[in-house]
Amino acid sequence: MKAMINPKVWPAEGVSRAPYWIYTDPDIYAREQENIFRGKSWHYVGLEAEVPQPGNYKTTFIGETSVVLTRADDGEVHALINRCAHRGNMVCREAFGSAKRLYCVYHAWSYQLNGDLSNAAFSQGLNGQGGLPKDFDKKNHGLQKLRIARFCGLVFATFQEDTEDFESWLGDVGHGIKRLLNRPLKVLGYDTQRIHSNWKNYHENPRDSYHANILHTFYGTFGLSRQTQESGMVLDKTGRNVYFYTKAGTEKKDANYDSTKTELRSVNDQLRLEDSSILKWTDEIGDGVSVQILSLYPSFVLHQIANSLATRQLLPKGQGQLDLVWTYFGFEDDSPEITKTRLLQANLAGSAGMISVEDAAVCEMTYRAIADGQHGESFIEMGGKDLTSGGSHKLSERAIRNFWHNYRQDMGL
Amino acid sequence: MNTTPLKKTNLIQSDEYFLIQDLIFEWARVIDENRVEDIAKLLDSQGRYTVKSRFNHDRDLPLAVIDCHSAAQLRDRILSMRLANVYEPQHYRHIISGIQVTDREGQIIHTRSNFMVVRTMDLDGEIKVIFTGQAQDIIQLHESEAKFKERLMVFDSRVIETLLVIPL
Repeated sequence: MKAMINPKVWPAEGVSRAPYWIYTDPDIYAREQENIFRGKSWHYVGLEAEVPQPGNYKTTFIGETSVVLTRADDGEVHALINRCAHRGNMVCREAFGSAKRLYCVYHAWSYQLNGDLSNAAFSQGLNGQGGLPKDFDKKNHGLQKLRIARFCGLVFATFQEDTEDFESWLGDVGHGIKRLLNRPLKVLGYDTQRIHSNWKNYHENPRDSYHANILHTFYGTFGLSRQTQESGMVLDKTGRNVYFYTKAGTEKKDANYDSTKTELRSVNDQLRLEDSSILKWTDEIGDGVSVQILSLYPSFVLHQIANSLATRQLLPKGQGQLDLVWTYFGFEDDSPEITKTRLLQANLAGSAGMISVEDAAVCEMTYRAIADGQHGESFIEMGGKDLTSGGSHKLSERAIRNFWHNYRQDMGL
Repeated sequence: MNTTPLKKTNLIQSDEYFLIQDLIFEWARVIDENRVEDIAKLLDSQGRYTVKSRFNHDRDLPLAVIDCHSAAQLRDRILSMRLANVYEPQHYRHIISGIQVTDREGQIIHTRSNFMVVRTMDLDGEIKVIFTGQAQDIIQLHESEAKFKERLMVFDSRVIETLLVIPL
């Protein structure tokens, strides 16, 4: 009989391996909530455009913690834990709303939009009976406030006072956001995708440029992105954050193109669109970038796919499920024509995306295939074995190795 | 007792209602029988097929997860489903109820109906209700034929289970 192996030891190879128990273990999941989601990381909570006016609020999550994003009377944006300071009831139960006060229905404790307690029902008691103790101080019983950072219309929050300043946390990857989000945003709508896998199966996916043209047949076939097009990767110095870009219309039909063609399932000459208007895009920024996929550790993606723009917020729901919330947007000054283009190209991504439906399918199939969680590990050596090998080439898993590096630091693994 | 008929019963003859009902059932049946290509024949060449969450619809947000502005765009989506997209083998069963005519302009009929889509996975046989919602249709009647001018499928949950690749 084989001796028991210790299942909680990281493989000796380090960042070029991820043991399968890391995806399936409920104790690991609980530790992630503490060390990562409530730890020293920044988490996307929404767009400023979602709470444009004083009194507006939006309910969302950081990890499994319910959070409210508000715009207070003074115009400032706040992120608050959506949990009454009295007995823990959920204060906001609508996805979006507008209110003068946030009001807990259980015992009528009400809060200002900055989270300060304004009133607790019957705090003085009635006819000299009951009520809160004399030393009760409203100042100590507000909703828990999170630290926030606003950047190009995006709002991020962190539980920790000593999380690194947001812009230095972003590092060089900030350029990928600034280049796209250069004026006030306008929300076009939402799409929430429920994926039955571990959240890290999804997190690895947009950091994985190796799979893009292989799994996603649609991409390559219609010339939106091929391995032979000019492309690259930008990783911040800590390796937490990354973006990939591709420039359409830059490839040459040379020997390299033909050799690529024979390697990939995705170049399929049978597939021709009757109506290719969905692929017509405008180079709004003038830098030729047709696709940019930007991923921030641990739970945020920003995409530009032609003229379609969206954020993706990754919400873990237990070790075997995640909700991926896609928020599609344009700009306040968009013409009706460009809005129409953005909406048409929304057909390409998201839950029903003609390009990308595969991602959810492979996350789920992977999760089921590793589900026993007792043995095995992934092999992450495309482009090399360490944090720098692979450079900025798309045929590299460098960004995934860098994810595991940061993850292990946060988890003490 | 008030015997005045409801206005909508004046809108339509029973043989016309039969054509409309048959069109709505036919769309569902060809999908359920894995003849998905045939739904494009039921949509006017300049017609529109849209799948949108109630969450967006109720908030007047324009985003739809599927929006085909012509039968050609719908055929492209189905071609992508057949040739490009990777997903786990699965089948749908549509349950449809409550087909009501809500308005009429000449031969153009507005209807509402309920749909429920149950998904069965080929590999492990898992059965799950993945969509419920309301179809808001605009149907063009020709002599003995009906076609969709617009099919707006408003699904109730803001969440889509895994992915939506086979049309509703």
